[in-house]
Amino acid sequence: MTTRFVQRAAGRAAFGAMLVGMDARALDGDVTADSVAQFYDVTSPTGQVLLERRRLTATLGLGAYDLLGTAEGDPHAADLSIRMRVRYDADYGAPSATSDPTIFGSIVPGFAPQAVDLMYFYLEGRRFGGGWLGFKLGRQYVTDVLGWWSFDGGEVSVTTPYYLKAEAYGGLEQRGGMPLSTSRFEADGVWRGDRTGFEPLLYPEFQPAEVAPALGVALESVGLTWIHGRLTYRRVYDTGPSTVSEFPDGSNPGVYDRTRISSERLGYAVDANLAAIGAVKAGIVYDFYRAEITSAYASLDGYLGKRLTVSTDYDYYLPTFDGDSIWNFFAGEPRSDLGLRANVDIDRRLSVAGNAHARVSTVQTAPFDPGGGFVSSPSPNSAGGYYPTNGHPFDEGGNVSARWHSGETRIAAHASGDFGSEGDRVGGDVSAEQVIETRYMVGGRAGLWQWKDDLRPDRAATGFQYVANVGYRFDPRCRGSFEWEHDFNGLVGQRFRFMFLLSLDMGKLPQRTRETAQQ
Amino acid sequence: MTSQVFGPLRPFVALGLVRALMPLFALLVIVPMALAQSEAPTVHGVAPLPDDRPVPHGLLPPGAPNPDTGPSSVIYPTQHVAIRFDHAKHLGREIGATCKTCHPGATTSRRASDRLTPGGEVCDRCHSTDHSNLALVKSGDAAMGQCATCHQGYRPEDGNRVAPLELPRANLVFDHKSHADRNIGCAQCHGAVAEIELATRDQLPRMSGCLRCHQAPDPASLGGAKSACETCHLAGPSGTARIQTMFPSGTLRPPRWLHNAEHTPDFIERHKSVAADDSGFCANCHKEDFCTDCHDGRTRPRDIHPNDYLNMHAIEARMNTERCTSCHQQQSFCLDCHLRVGVAESSPPNAKDSGRFHPPKSIWSDPPRKPGSHGFEAERNLNACVSCHTERDCVACHGALGVGGGFDPHTSGFVGRCATQFNRNPRPCFVCHEPGDAVLSQCR
Repeated sequence: MTTRFVQRAAGRAAFGAMLVGMDARALDGDVTADSVAQFYDVTSPTGQVLLERRRLTATLGLGAYDLLGTAEGDPHAADLSIRMRVRYDADYGAPSATSDPTIFGSIVPGFAPQAVDLMYFYLEGRRFGGGWLGFKLGRQYVTDVLGWWSFDGGEVSVTTPYYLKAEAYGGLEQRGGMPLSTSRFEADGVWRGDRTGFEPLLYPEFQPAEVAPALGVALESVGLTWIHGRLTYRRVYDTGPSTVSEFPDGSNPGVYDRTRISSERLGYAVDANLAAIGAVKAGIVYDFYRAEITSAYASLDGYLGKRLTVSTDYDYYLPTFDGDSIWNFFAGEPRSDLGLRANVDIDRRLSVAGNAHARVSTVQTAPFDPGGGFVSSPSPNSAGGYYPTNGHPFDEGGNVSARWHSGETRIAAHASGDFGSEGDRVGGDVSAEQVIETRYMVGGRAGLWQWKDDLRPDRAATGFQYVANVGYRFDPRCRGSFEWEHDFNGLVGQRFRFMFLLSLDMGKLPQRTRETAQQ
Repeated sequence: MTSQVFGPLRPFVALGLVRALMPLFALLVIVPMALAQSEAPTVHGVAPLPDDRPVPHGLLPPGAPNPDTGPSSVIYPTQHVAIRFDHAKHLGREIGATCKTCHPGATTSRRASDRLTPGGEVCDRCHSTDHSNLALVKSGDAAMGQCATCHQGYRPEDGNRVAPLELPRANLVFDHKSHADRNIGCAQCHGAVAEIELATRDQLPRMSGCLRCHQAPDPASLGGAKSACETCHLAGPSGTARIQTMFPSGTLRPPRWLHNAEHTPDFIERHKSVAADDSGFCANCHKEDFCTDCHDGRTRPRDIHPNDYLNMHAIEARMNTERCTSCHQQQSFCLDCHLRVGVAESSPPNAKDSGRFHPPKSIWSDPPRKPGSHGFEAERNLNACVSCHTERDCVACHGALGVGGGFDPHTSGFVGRCATQFNRNPRPCFVCHEPGDAVLSQCR
């Protein structure tokens, strides 16, 4: 309840501030609205229709800018702005019973047939305090080597003249099941959401959503354009009751409700460029909960001439989950990817890129004990129960992409193949878009792909798809279009998808356009 | 069966050619294409040096690459210069002019849109011509006063009509005065114009040259040469990004030498390393909506999910699940749908049955463990399990009190480091172990 009150109060305050700002000077803001209606079916491998999806997704964005009335385009002046975007995402094809917790046979916990979420809503201040101070208040994103993340709260940054910027933030992580929120930004591994109306024994593993306090700090270089680094730390807490007794037998407490770590990570990313030579990029993430490195990557780019870039890439990934998740304790092994990449700008219109990569997994690839039958591990001593790895299988693949554009015409082609013990995927797409007389839009896409499933050979298929769309551009930022998709799949049969899209953007014209008008 | 499975690609897949050649194809195709192609020279109208000789690199503005392809055509739209002019001669000893002689506004102008090229009346001072009335321009008596002396392609029968000079304004913010006030000479940005004849677009400042000075942190630096994009680039229209990227002359994209963020055809696959390091750099041109369209989108981006991805995604998901997690939360986005279609173990009873997902029980879960069994697949790609299963599905067998009697799922050496996890969050321990379980004492 407290959270809802705070969110409502913050919302009203921000909205009030936006109105005050608008009154203070001529309106400098914009309204954007995107609406997408999609109609398609989800079918089983046997062709049976499982879901009839009749979807409508609508977003509304509002912005108020330059609330302090500073000189336009002055990069030194303090600036205050408000931005928000809200989304309505509905599936009218879903039976109402899927969201009714009183109907055990149909309820799908966590599924919201008509969800509304506030994507972002923040007041941003820049270049205050002689340029030193910046801040954001409200629902906002943080993007860095720790991932793409959202929280409700405040962020303060101090930019010094000494090529260093410090940043601190705190608030509540955006979590599914909370008002106007999605689960997109929380750590994975916990089935969590709004349990309102659920009996205690109905899906006890579906955990109730509770507030998740979070804090973070970052140090970042600023100013220098040839090198940049960011050191970032973030800690998120789980709070509230969490069911641990999912097979109730009355012998354990059933619920754990102390404040505990959800995630705690430290990351660093850097890139450096020498214009005539090449570039280096690298990043690493250390997970304090797992007490190990969970992500690392590096790429080395060489500029061979003015048009050719060749690169090598390395990427290490270890699955990690929310601190509440049991899967942190499972034997998930890391993966390492090695790649070679090249890009050629053949001329100003045509570019071609391609890569070849190999993936190394660390898994068992042969029977653990061929002569001894099944070896279980009833002993809780983990060392005795672990199945040692004995293989490092390689998956490999590559892709080629090309893009040609001229004026309002764009043609792209992409082909790729991925091959491994899990299966293969190989194929390609060609797409084209053109705007005729600055307003009529036409486009198309065709693709042929082969999907091969090594674990389930009967699920392999060849698929062909074509897509055609036509549209009309009311002005450079407003458009409507209709899209037709037709899929032929050797396994599923034919499928169709229709999509209507309307995108509106009403705001000030670009600066150059205004200058022209004034003259 | 094989032909049904592979369809039209059967010959290639069956022979293994695709698999063998795919990794090599990219490099083998790209490199020859790069070596074979050459770019057409930029057309300026009149050449900067006699006989259309290229301008030596040393005379170009600072920051020009070698070899040079000219400045951005988006920032500096293509010009057509129909004037014949010899800067070297005018700035030399013979005439002794300075830059300010003909471009007096270059020291006072505060906007890039100001026209700083001289009008014909400036020429009148020496060429005995009269451009005071452009509707009736009078030529001079001497040879150097004839219209054709300066106006390329002029013929006597053209009368008062000459080829137009097309000099579109630069799509930039630029304050000549503030630079001149700091004693920044013309050559520091425009190169050695005094040593060439005609100054073309090639003599316009290059971004990498600007950044030789503009390296000051924004916004708190005391100096004026800030590196923030909006220092030089036009501010974006309200509601868009910080700088304007769409112009009639094209779309502004970052050059290769800036964060190696050139938006190549494969940038979608490698943009992670740019955004992870400096998302503020991306925010100069993209606002949040650009990211959310894919990373928190509700409409399938076909460049990422091609073909009939809805039906066939499981194959790629098992191969490449960590990429799924960059946009999808598995215990909500994936699980919601898997529950609805009846493929998840926790699906409601009334969900339609989409059939068994896993390989046959004899491979997947029956002893002895063998390649293809669920334990190995979980080791290889635990994320794939999480996209369908809730923890209860695993605890049923792996819990200490589970029906399987506790098939230990922990990794090697787990006991040695479990105290860290237990202290920070013991909740998952209690899912499988009783709080008083003696084995937990090893982690307390």
